[in-house]
Amino acid sequence: MTLFRRLLLVEWSGLAVAILLGALALSVIAPNFLTEFNLYVMLRSLSVGLLVAFAQMVTLGVGQMNIAVGALGGLTAIIFGATIELYGFPLLLAIPLALAIGALGGLINGLLTARTGVNAFIITLATASAFTGINFGITGSIPFYKMPASLVAFGDHHLGAMPYLLVAPLIVAFLLGLFFSRAAPGRELLAFGGNPQAAELSGISRERVVVSAHVLSGLLAAAAAVLAVAQLGSAQPTIGADWLLLSFAAPIIGGAALTGGHISVLGTLFAVLLLGLIQNGMVLAKVDPYWVQFVLGALILAAVGLNRWRAVNSGVA
Amino acid sequence: MGLALEAVSKTFPGVKALDSVSLDLKAGEIHALMGENGAGKSTLIKIVTGLIRPDSGRVLLDGRAVQFGSPRDALSEGVSAVHQERNLIPRFSVGENILLERLPTRNGLVDYGAVAREARRYLELLDPGIDARAKVLSLSVAQMQIVEIAKALSSEAKILLLDEPTASITEHETAALFKLLRKLRDDGVAIVFVSHKLEEVFAIADRITVLRDGKNVARGAPMEDMTRQTLVSLMIGRPERVAEIAERQVDPSRVVLEARGLSTTRGHKNITFALRYGEILGLYGLVGAGRSELAHAILGDARISGGELLIRGEPARIRDVHDASTRFRMGYVSEDRKQEGLILMHSITRNVAVTIWRRLANVIGLINPRAESRAVAPFIKRLDVRTPSLGQLVGNLSGGNQQKVSIAKWLAVQSEILIIDEPTVGIDIKTKTYLHELIGEIACEGAAILLISSDMAEMITLADRILVMHGFRLVGEVANDHQYETTSRAIIGYIHAVGDVTPAPAG
Amino acid sequence: MTDEAMSEMSARRRFGLGGVPAQFGLAIIIAAFWAVFAWRAPGFLSPFNLFSVGRALAVDIVIGFAQMAALATGGMNLSVGSIGVCAVMTGGYLMQTLALPVPVAILGALGLGAALGWLNGFVIARSGVSAFIITLASANLYSGAMLILTKAVPLNSLPMEVGAFGKMKIAGLVSPLLVIALAVGLVLFVFYRHSVLGRQILAAGANARAAKMSGVPVDRVITISHALSGLLAATAGMMVVAHLGAAMPAVGGEDWLLPSFLGPVLGGTPLSGGAVAVAGTMLGALLVTTIRSGLLVLQIGNYWLQLYLGVILLLAVLVDRYRALYQERRGIPMR
Repeated sequence: MTLFRRLLLVEWSGLAVAILLGALALSVIAPNFLTEFNLYVMLRSLSVGLLVAFAQMVTLGVGQMNIAVGALGGLTAIIFGATIELYGFPLLLAIPLALAIGALGGLINGLLTARTGVNAFIITLATASAFTGINFGITGSIPFYKMPASLVAFGDHHLGAMPYLLVAPLIVAFLLGLFFSRAAPGRELLAFGGNPQAAELSGISRERVVVSAHVLSGLLAAAAAVLAVAQLGSAQPTIGADWLLLSFAAPIIGGAALTGGHISVLGTLFAVLLLGLIQNGMVLAKVDPYWVQFVLGALILAAVGLNRWRAVNSGVA
Repeated sequence: MGLALEAVSKTFPGVKALDSVSLDLKAGEIHALMGENGAGKSTLIKIVTGLIRPDSGRVLLDGRAVQFGSPRDALSEGVSAVHQERNLIPRFSVGENILLERLPTRNGLVDYGAVAREARRYLELLDPGIDARAKVLSLSVAQMQIVEIAKALSSEAKILLLDEPTASITEHETAALFKLLRKLRDDGVAIVFVSHKLEEVFAIADRITVLRDGKNVARGAPMEDMTRQTLVSLMIGRPERVAEIAERQVDPSRVVLEARGLSTTRGHKNITFALRYGEILGLYGLVGAGRSELAHAILGDARISGGELLIRGEPARIRDVHDASTRFRMGYVSEDRKQEGLILMHSITRNVAVTIWRRLANVIGLINPRAESRAVAPFIKRLDVRTPSLGQLVGNLSGGNQQKVSIAKWLAVQSEILIIDEPTVGIDIKTKTYLHELIGEIACEGAAILLISSDMAEMITLADRILVMHGFRLVGEVANDHQYETTSRAIIGYIHAVGDVTPAPAG
Repeated sequence: MTDEAMSEMSARRRFGLGGVPAQFGLAIIIAAFWAVFAWRAPGFLSPFNLFSVGRALAVDIVIGFAQMAALATGGMNLSVGSIGVCAVMTGGYLMQTLALPVPVAILGALGLGAALGWLNGFVIARSGVSAFIITLASANLYSGAMLILTKAVPLNSLPMEVGAFGKMKIAGLVSPLLVIALAVGLVLFVFYRHSVLGRQILAAGANARAAKMSGVPVDRVITISHALSGLLAATAGMMVVAHLGAAMPAVGGEDWLLPSFLGPVLGGTPLSGGAVAVAGTMLGALLVTTIRSGLLVLQIGNYWLQLYLGVILLLAVLVDRYRALYQERRGIPMR
């Protein structure tokens, strides 16, 4: 097989090329691009997005959707903030609690989906509404501002261009990659996503798979929420409000199949990176921020089109 | 290890699928399970493999009563099955699919090297050409079925159930499979072999159990005592009646469809034939020969890359089935009636009227539902579709009735050229005979029929002439004298003249 | 068949002939809510409140129809909100900046909606990529383009008739917008039940492959469905403009996403396509509007509204699912 063909088969090759070209172009157009500060700002902005993308990627892996990703994130964020500001919880307690809430939300989603047989889209559409309602009901739209200095500092600190904030998502990326490619439970999730009937006939428990995927998704959403609080320096009820479309865009651009059974951790990572790059580029080039949405849409189309072309050309349609 | 079902019954809403059925499977035998569609075979299979529980009766493993709560239970008790539908994970590798239930791990992570090695052991028994690391997506249908069989083998089950395992594989592979099954039998495995191909059953089975209408009509009868007539009459409850097709005079000059040196993007080359009004032209070939693909190309669903297609003497460029039907009065009864031939969630009326909606619409483009039903009723009546009402959802009909609906819509629009693809696969024998006679009638009425079938007996009963296809080429033509022996030999002769030498079927 | 597929099949079964049963339960629930709200807050039944509810309902109904049109084909339209806001701003631009007569501006906006929807459908049909992804992308493209072009500046100086129309009352109770919504519903009902195109759309939505092989021009039909979806989204947009008396870029967008699904889903339109429930969609929208308005009148924090909506949606869907299962178990023959 020629090198070109091989590269064609690697799913994230298009993305990697786009990122390289983009970075190259930016470093020429905008002199500030390659400064440590700018790189730091850009990388920092990716942290939350990565976890949000992974949260959705996990449910896509089993062929389902989690519409409650943002709502759960927002709810977790304010509960996190409340436990700290109102009840004086130390971070060591508040963070695991927040993650647990996220997992609990995911558990609800997963159980409802698995037990009732109703489409996860609808279930999470409903729970999203419910979570948002609880969120705003509790906070009355008022954020929690008094976050511990250590948390805020963590959100700001960096080693060179590498923000501390990005370390956790990268570790998560590595673990997820390992999980889905080498761990038996991860393979079971993807097997179910690829062909639910076949998986069940092979003894894979539908309920276990669906619930695990949703719990993991909720957990990742909660992690994203905690990072968001660290990044913002306050627990805002609006956290997660704009996560939904991004949560689908990145995994899809990264090569995930909507029908399930096929996801790419690396692809998703590159997609988030590319989106961050574009956003950064637009700020540096002082492009009208309204272009962001437009470019996002164009990017999704381009990525999907490329995947299609690649599938047809490599004979694995 | 032996498996026994004692007086097992199962009722679904509205139908008693199994009525006190017994099956006695001994270790070291190949036991055939036969019966028409709707006889209860699949329900029985689902009970044995743990998908459903019987309402009454017992399942015994080596004399020990067991209760399978799920497929996993059955698997762990040593019951392994190859089902009719493909159950593979498309994006996983062949090896991973084979070992899905017990992926070998090293240090907690999946050991892919071991996966490939283990899988190869079983693949080699059937088809060493399949790469254990290849993605299942990239395999052919035949290869996928081989992988499934390898998967069942790999569980080293003591009880192996095969449901139509040879449906998509070639003769060569079937021979290899049978050799393997005999070896397993000799090693003490108990094998249940479900097939509608009588020749195969006679070739491989030791004993046979036959179901009809949910009851036993034969229970572990030795194969030596069985003849084809006895078997068929057991399955349908009366002696088999061969369809009587009226003689037609086909005017050779009235050519309605002609192919000249057609080649397609699917790989066909130099396809040349002519179809006349009132003629039943058979297109025979084995699985994978390229017949359905040719039909699809003619209909515009796949692309013609060379040669000419003439309809009623004029060159025709057919864009899609809509084009084929409206401009050229062509119809296609699909081989895959559930996915392509019918809309299961819609009513009978909707399914049949789909081809005549335009005609039924009034001046402003609206259709009166009652007019729709009235237009459809005569065809349902003619085809003897058993249904309480026209509003019945097609998904609820039996296979035979579904097929009738699938044909009805082309009758409704009075197609002049009808391509019928595998009309009686999975259909009970009664309906099969009925459909054969129907095809004869349609030809008598003047329509031109291109009949695609891999059922030799059906082809010889129906066709006036038979084209033989192999490897996407036409390799011969046989004038049909309706004598099974001579005509089938001629057809097979053409196929073997081209391809590998395959062993003649036993029995 | 998986549980999910079964539940979808059950949902669909009731619509083999455009059946009605599920909506009956919905109507009862709605009536119950009205009874409760009216009892607890007499102002609920006041002409003013009825008028407001009717006006809000009108928009929700049409938004629901827009999504329903896409669901019919087995896909969905995530760009309803984006098309809506594009239509809003285009209409405003035509009316205010170009000073065109209002009917012309409205036609222009509707035309744009249909065109954007048509574009969605065209790409979906041609590329074979799922509607989810295409409309996810186009939602961003359309919104982005609109923001770039309008710089998010609202248009507040529309011709007087527009706002006046929005405030008009028929018999002191009913907004003409509601009448329009009901009329649209009637047209859609006749369309899907009686027209050739309607039947073809449902066939394509139920099983595109089988429809194609039966001679239905599936590509064309899907494109038209999405154009219809866009047209309806634009209609909803125009109704909002009448309501507000101004063209604001904050309208629509993601705000419409949830309501666009709530109506059809509550009303029984299956996500997998092949059937539509026009009356159901209207009832579904009515339920949502009822709760929203009821909570407002009862002065229960607006903030908790979302929670109630979510829970009710869940309950409605679960009840529906168990009803279908129960019917199946009893072997009650499907219509």
